[in-house]
Amino acid sequence: MTQEPVEPQQPTFDGPPLSLEEELAAAKAEPEPGPSIETVNESLKDGLNRCPKCGSTDVRLRASTGMLVCLFCRNEWHEARVEEEFGLGEGIDELEGTVIASGAEDIQADAADMLTFKCEACGAEVVVDTAHALNARCHWCRHTLNVNQQIPNGAVPDAVLPFRLTKEEAVAKIREFASSRRLFAHRRFKKEFVPENVLGVYLPYLVIDARAESQYWGRGEVETRRWTETTGSGDNKRTTTYYAADVYQVARQVSFTVDDLTVEGSSERAQFGTSNTNNIVNTILPFDTKNAVKWNASYLVGFTSEKRDLNVEALKPVLEDQLLSIGRSEVRGSLGRFDRGVRWEQEKVDVGGSRWVSMYLPVWLYSYQQESNGLLHYIAVNARTGETMGSIPVSQPKLILAALTVGTFLEGIAGSILVASA
Amino acid sequence: MIGEVIAMASDDSLVWLLAAGPAGAVGTYWLIYRYYRNTDKSHAYERDTIIEAQPVQGGEEKVDHISKTRDSDIDGDNSDDYRERVQRVQ
Repeated sequence: MTQEPVEPQQPTFDGPPLSLEEELAAAKAEPEPGPSIETVNESLKDGLNRCPKCGSTDVRLRASTGMLVCLFCRNEWHEARVEEEFGLGEGIDELEGTVIASGAEDIQADAADMLTFKCEACGAEVVVDTAHALNARCHWCRHTLNVNQQIPNGAVPDAVLPFRLTKEEAVAKIREFASSRRLFAHRRFKKEFVPENVLGVYLPYLVIDARAESQYWGRGEVETRRWTETTGSGDNKRTTTYYAADVYQVARQVSFTVDDLTVEGSSERAQFGTSNTNNIVNTILPFDTKNAVKWNASYLVGFTSEKRDLNVEALKPVLEDQLLSIGRSEVRGSLGRFDRGVRWEQEKVDVGGSRWVSMYLPVWLYSYQQESNGLLHYIAVNARTGETMGSIPVSQPKLILAALTVGTFLEGIAGSILVASA
Repeated sequence: MIGEVIAMASDDSLVWLLAAGPAGAVGTYWLIYRYYRNTDKSHAYERDTIIEAQPVQGGEEKVDHISKTRDSDIDGDNSDDYRERVQRVQ
């Protein structure tokens, strides 16, 4: 019996050796803190997600039931809800500091988007561009390969909310939205409108639970008297209303918790302004994030995805801004006695604790680039609730014509009233 | 804006009616544009998030009295503009 010679194990080269000081510092350093909530789906590893009944890898989401279905034996199953699995609905009023789930951890700058897999079925090497997809077909044996481990490039979140609306339902919603806006729509948009081109995409969000206290200071006025004074006589007679008021220094403070506040995890989607229509995608929030399930890349088969590129630290100002707004709306009801209004001048928010979980949320997205100004218009459908919002390019000449027609008509009426009363 | 025009001209008979044409044109343009482009829409997280708030606390102290003014409300009322940020105290 012959034995093949075994090559001695070569140590892998990992850079030049450290200096003595660096070695000592590294030895003394505290171990890096692990994630506060570990959300890796231990039952899955990278590679083949097999049907638990027949072992096939032809698994995908069946939107009508929200379950994974094996295309071979029709077996249906689903992953556990993260709400119960990781206790996300509990203890918001006792949160301390910043708790970050493992899928929402900081993105490492050197983490590559392109992953190379070895197909476990046939041994071929398959490349997955995790920036846009987390599945790939092995081009040799046709098995579906999945990315299930959390790679530090933001592509694998803690949880996923599966699509519920089918493509047909989304197309119907988009068609309905656009057809009620036909008259003043840009001619070219109407000609090129093909709602069947809608794409199902999982967009990255951070879902935040937080405990906060906000304070506001400002001025409020209470009317104490109102009277009219008349000056002149005959045709020059004028009546003026005057007011007297008490001015108060007003302070308000409110403690509150928010459950599943949802913010964009992609820097491109988080920019709002006149040069884009990202507000459209923002408007279809909220999602029923309580129903999000543990990560399983099979939910993404047939859909595209956009990876998260914002870290928790970068989104803290967004959270604080939203908490300040929420606090302002909470104290609004206590301002009833200030009948002349309140002018807030200073505000403060203390975030006692926050918990951050990254999720892929499902959106049917129809996009259209307007050639005249380069603006990218979206019609977005929330693939859970069906809420639809969009931006339709308008035909400026038609719009101006309509405005002038209404203006001329009103001016005509005004003129005739003046002539009649003269 | 229309309100201000009316208020400014309210003393001078019915001449202010002449503003109806331009105001109507601008208003029509703005309404249709907004219906198509939805530039003003965003997620109403103040309303659509699960929020549990403790009772609001605070106080008010009278600091001044305005004995006569033609303004019907306070300058710069922002009590309904929840997203308008004011000076931030750390």
